[in-house]
Amino acid sequence: MRRLPRIRLRSLAILGLATVLLLGIGGVLGLRSSAPATGEVVPQVDRLAATIDRAQEQLRRVPGDHGSWATLGLAYLEQARVTADPTFFARADGALRQSLAVRADDNSAAMAGLGALANARHDFTGAADWARKALRSNPYSAEAYAVLADAETQLGHPDAATRAVQDLLDLRPGLSALTRASYDHEQHGRTAEATGLMRQALAAAFDPAEVAFCRYQLGELAWHSGDLAGAEREYTATGSGYPPLIQGRAKVAAARGRQGEALAGYAELTSRSPTPGYLLEYAELLMAAGRGAEAEAQLALAAATHRLFTDNGGADDLAGAAIALARSQPAEALALARREWQRRQFAEVADMLGWALHANGKYADALGYARRAEALGAHNAKYAYHLGMIELALGDRDAARRDLARALHINPYFSPLDAPAAARTLAGLGTP
Amino acid sequence: MATIPGPAPRFRSARRAKTAVVAALCVALAGALTGLGPSTAGASSHREAPLVAMDPAIDNTDLYAFVSPERPGYLTFIANWIPFEEPNGGPNFYPFATDAAYNINVDNDGDAKADATFRWTFQNVDKRGGSTFLYNNGPVTSLDDENLLFRQTYKLESKFDGEPFKTRVTGGPVAPSRIGNASMPEYAKLRQQATTTLPGGWKVFAGQADDPFFLDLRVFDLLYGGDLSETGQDTLAGYNVNSIALQVPFSDVALKGDPKRNPVVGVWTTTDRARVRMSGKAGDAPEGRDRVQVSRLGNPLVNEVVLPANLKDAFNSLPPEKDATIPAVVKRVTDPELPKLIEGIYGVPAPATPRNDLVEIFLTGITTRTPNGPIKVDLNSQLNNRDVTASRFQPSEMLRLNLSTPVTKTPDRLGVLAGDLQGFPNGRRLTDDAVDIAIQAVEGAAQTGKLVDALAAGDKVDANDNGFTGSFPYLALPNVGAVNKGGGTGAGATTDDQPDASAQPEPSMTPAGLAGLATRDDGDPMPVMVAKTTAWGLVGIAAALGTLILVGLLRQRRRPTAAEPTQPL
Repeated sequence: MRRLPRIRLRSLAILGLATVLLLGIGGVLGLRSSAPATGEVVPQVDRLAATIDRAQEQLRRVPGDHGSWATLGLAYLEQARVTADPTFFARADGALRQSLAVRADDNSAAMAGLGALANARHDFTGAADWARKALRSNPYSAEAYAVLADAETQLGHPDAATRAVQDLLDLRPGLSALTRASYDHEQHGRTAEATGLMRQALAAAFDPAEVAFCRYQLGELAWHSGDLAGAEREYTATGSGYPPLIQGRAKVAAARGRQGEALAGYAELTSRSPTPGYLLEYAELLMAAGRGAEAEAQLALAAATHRLFTDNGGADDLAGAAIALARSQPAEALALARREWQRRQFAEVADMLGWALHANGKYADALGYARRAEALGAHNAKYAYHLGMIELALGDRDAARRDLARALHINPYFSPLDAPAAARTLAGLGTP
Repeated sequence: MATIPGPAPRFRSARRAKTAVVAALCVALAGALTGLGPSTAGASSHREAPLVAMDPAIDNTDLYAFVSPERPGYLTFIANWIPFEEPNGGPNFYPFATDAAYNINVDNDGDAKADATFRWTFQNVDKRGGSTFLYNNGPVTSLDDENLLFRQTYKLESKFDGEPFKTRVTGGPVAPSRIGNASMPEYAKLRQQATTTLPGGWKVFAGQADDPFFLDLRVFDLLYGGDLSETGQDTLAGYNVNSIALQVPFSDVALKGDPKRNPVVGVWTTTDRARVRMSGKAGDAPEGRDRVQVSRLGNPLVNEVVLPANLKDAFNSLPPEKDATIPAVVKRVTDPELPKLIEGIYGVPAPATPRNDLVEIFLTGITTRTPNGPIKVDLNSQLNNRDVTASRFQPSEMLRLNLSTPVTKTPDRLGVLAGDLQGFPNGRRLTDDAVDIAIQAVEGAAQTGKLVDALAAGDKVDANDNGFTGSFPYLALPNVGAVNKGGGTGAGATTDDQPDASAQPEPSMTPAGLAGLATRDDGDPMPVMVAKTTAWGLVGIAAALGTLILVGLLRQRRRPTAAEPTQPL
């Protein structure tokens, strides 16, 4: 309670709301997707739930079964990912640690699981350590390579990430490898390869939740290319209630001018999965709709949710910086972005740091980071927009004109606030 | 120039909260959540792809290989994938993966490399057109019924002695998942239509079937300190699997086409997928390295048993020729864990190590022709094929079968241990009780000859819940209805002219019984059988086999293991 005086009542109220959302709604809503509308052939059986049931039953009988503890922990992790219900993380943690407590050695499944958990908590260095530990114990662990690939990606070690992805592909070229290979291509701007592999992953999907994941990513690939129709097709191809699909459908609705539908979608999404990222997007959309007060409430909720995460030992200054920027706290945003950059030199972080430097008037410094964000070749409208605005601030109008146009060319719908801003700015720049 | 609008501050500072009452509630809630430890609730999302893919479609679960009882001179393979198919709870269609190849491999010269490979690849025929998710649009009375909106076909290719694959059939019909009696009122007819005869006398079947494996999984609780007090229920009763069955003449798989001189074959199944290179250049994988083996199975239970979870991934990736090169694998064979566990729980002394008897069963086949093999019987090693070059023999794990063992008229579920030499581990028949063979072996074995009372009844599941048929593909029809109904599910075969093994009297496991058995193979026509088998030889088999199988038996294989990379049920 010592830190209580530092928390203002406002924060507490929002924290309470967030808590209710996190504990209540997430726990109630499991992902029970409806039947796929087209294409997929997946049994309408929740194998994840069945796995959890069986492991629990087994462990009630035989609590010394470390393999079942690991199975249970990994299944909880998947459940957390699929349902966005954070209480599954605590359960996963307990089960995985119990597995290691029963058997500390030769237990790569539990080690990889703890690595996945560290990734989920944005402790990417810890995740990579767990993955390497698992691989020393079992060099054939596909899970460990997947955890390693995720961690190296987020740490901004693209070559190591690609190597881990290739190792994973060489071991087990199934869905978990193909989806990661797709993401690796995407970050390098190889959209066609990324899309091809994600389609291959979709063909390998055996579970409705996997279908939902692949459909969402295919939608994202289309969305980030400005292919609104293609994105909408993917986001709506399954009737799944997978939260990211709700986000995708809402984004498309907003881009098509169906504002009411978009806002309703975000309201549902953020009640199901109140993460800072979704709350910030919701706030942006509300702001674009001229509903500033409601936007503020969502921003405050984002901040509270984020604080909940950090107060519980999580470290995600990328989200913190984004929230601070949205709340017009540039100095705080810059401090947070710098701190995250110390941890990891990932493209997203470079972009955020560049943008935070821009917000603080440090344009020359900002330029390097904005370029760094695009160093791998990713086609990302937001990165291009930020770069263009930084170049403009530095007085390089030609470069600004080029990059702002590029942003709008990549995806004219990339943000309900920034895309119109890019268009206005570009128009103001006139022709060379 | 007009002023260029920058990214102006978007949001005003938030408003203050209202009441202290709300705040107090929040503090309590936050405290409750804090107690859960670090949550990821507040993490902004980064890409989180599925970690443990639900990949049961490539998961080899069981392999059977036996001399066709009603068709002399023909060998039948049955291989299963996708465990725990739930017949109930919706229109569940369990397709074979279309991005994988399903293989049955045969090694007849003992070099641990396939001399014959049969490869199935599957295609979808989807007429749903996006308008419906249903697999049928009314009763399905034949495989080409218009009401059957989704079905699969297969291509079967075969490859012999290093020659390229040759296509044997394309568009072969797959028996569909049995969606229900209303949708498929005469399923037996669909099964029949999916059973194809090819030139050369081959018979092929692919499609859904009742899972023929029977056991009570709880028997394996003893590995973790549990006991056997609660067994007797077939854990797999009511579940279906996807099966591939193939029947070929002996001469197609025997070394030099001569099953008389070379009657022993080793069999294993694999699933593989196309290799994917991040370099993006198609076809840059070295010749013959364009496929990735993702699953492998030979002997029942061994895949998961001899190899603990940590080695299982390696095993699924490795070709048999590499088995003996992995020290950890060999160590698990020569120094298994289970006998020590049993010693701890039941006081039965563990046999002395190194367990060269296990090496014999696991890696070489039962033969007198290895230097260290303590089991002085020639039963089922390729080393006993007359045209084998012994120097090229490579120890490896596979299901080994002596084709010359005469068909047993009334198969004993305990197989070789009960004197029925045609049963497991000499190949494997559908009725062989793999678990009880192991358990009975431990009872009779372990050098004292004293039964372990707690293990005497085994898992108390002696036969499959549904009867098998007397003709190809022998499998019971798929189950319909709720899984946990218990006992048979009424899905059984229409004919059953093979005697029910479980109805046979329990074979005596006394030393006298073993002794009686020992004389049973006198005059046996198998060229590689020794004229006389000693009782100690059988005890050796029993001990080795039992230990082999029980080591961590099946605990990954049949448990729903989302966490297991190869068992991502």
